[in-house]
Amino acid sequence: MGFTAITTVAITLFIVGVFSVILFDVQSILNSIEGQVEIAVYLKDNISNDLKGYLENEIKKWPEVDSIAYVSKEQALEKFKVQNEGSDILKEIQGNPLPASFEIKLKDPQKVEQVALRFVDKDGKSIDGVDEVIYGKSYIRKLFSITAVAGTIALLIIIILILATMVLIYNTIRLSIYARRKEIEVMKLVGATNGYVRAPFLFEGFFEGFLGGGIAVVLLYLLNKFLLIKGETAIVETMHIKNLAILGSSNIILIAYFGIIIIGGLIGILSSGFALRRYLKV
Amino acid sequence: MNIIEFRDVSKIYENGTAALKDINLVIKKGEFVFLVGPSGSGKSTFIKLLIKETPVTSGTIFVAGRNICILKSSKIPQLRRNIGCIFQDYKLLSDRTIFENIAFALEVIGKPNYIIKAQVPQVLKLVGLYSKMDSYPHQLSGGEQQRICIARAFVNRPPILLADEPTGNLDPATSESIMKLLSRINLIGTTVVMATHEKSIVNAMRRRVVEMEEGLIIRDQKRGVYGS
Repeated sequence: MGFTAITTVAITLFIVGVFSVILFDVQSILNSIEGQVEIAVYLKDNISNDLKGYLENEIKKWPEVDSIAYVSKEQALEKFKVQNEGSDILKEIQGNPLPASFEIKLKDPQKVEQVALRFVDKDGKSIDGVDEVIYGKSYIRKLFSITAVAGTIALLIIIILILATMVLIYNTIRLSIYARRKEIEVMKLVGATNGYVRAPFLFEGFFEGFLGGGIAVVLLYLLNKFLLIKGETAIVETMHIKNLAILGSSNIILIAYFGIIIIGGLIGILSSGFALRRYLKV
Repeated sequence: MNIIEFRDVSKIYENGTAALKDINLVIKKGEFVFLVGPSGSGKSTFIKLLIKETPVTSGTIFVAGRNICILKSSKIPQLRRNIGCIFQDYKLLSDRTIFENIAFALEVIGKPNYIIKAQVPQVLKLVGLYSKMDSYPHQLSGGEQQRICIARAFVNRPPILLADEPTGNLDPATSESIMKLLSRINLIGTTVVMATHEKSIVNAMRRRVVEMEEGLIIRDQKRGVYGS
């Protein structure tokens, strides 16, 4: 009974689950990178305090700027040490080669290039007191739009798969209505209520969807346990990103498991409902 | 009391066939009525309209004083519980025993088990097939199967019994016993409407005869015979 339907629901919802986990993690990573400094303005070592103060005040006045933080040479070195703890590179550093800098965050990251170019004169040279401006993070924007496209494609695939499963459940229900047509005929004749006649088929549809969803959750759980969790561990260790689907503290994965089972049941009930409307006129 | 009343009832099917044309008919409680006429004269449509298997095109039908044409679809089961139906092809479920077939009719309208256990044997005694309770339909003769069909239609004690060619597949002797059974059910007070085109049965019974032809009532006679 409905073996194909159950399998299709399981595969579809499993794919939904995998997409969800991956897309969620990619979004997390991008959000975390986006939250980092967008423009770093490295200052020359010999910059005067007056010029530094003037620059800081000027930058603060720009409407695009959300916040500006001054990082002194000493702070930069501290940061560097923390980031490269235990690495051989620390032993080779003599004195403090790192520059002081302004770290600027923007209200709208799209304007990053526009703002960064204000530190450069017409000939492409940095303005007085500024050594270098780094704003390479605009590629993140592009990554965001790529994931948005990927997400849309994933969503389309999922919708198509869900429609396909609905057609399959619809067909199994239609077949079981056909197989039990004599019983249904007698039921109607002796005055069984519509609900009474329909209930077993609705239940059958629900059961197929629910069971498919359950199988999908088991498959997803196994995939998470043996594969995806390793990827996430690596992300946590290298990028210190906390908000991941499986390892995160917000139990996203549990919500996904429940969601998949509920979606399965709903798909089943909806499809058999359509089949009943079409083939079980009372 | 009028238990069935047709007022200017017409039925035109989607393919354009006019099955009934402005039918007016009153059937009183406790009557035994034969609907006679050739195939396609509208007898089956008459029965289908009564159990609301198909809607009327125009006119109104009253059952026990209620206009069934304006009945909400959720109330149709209630109507059908008051009308027992028997058919030429019996419509028994072949994978269930006789007991289960009749019990099924009570189960699906939500009757509790103790009522089922009491009523099924009782109705089987009425139709004289108590001993066949555990047999399957295919182990029974045609006449016996028709009795089971009657038992199933009557187990809920409906005030109306509709029979669509109930003797169509039976030999004359068996038909006679089926007619005796229907007469007994009629004597208890059940209104019986039977569509048939078997002359000998109608003539032997001497009951009210309503003759139809091409969707019209061409004769309505008390204590009538088949042909005029």
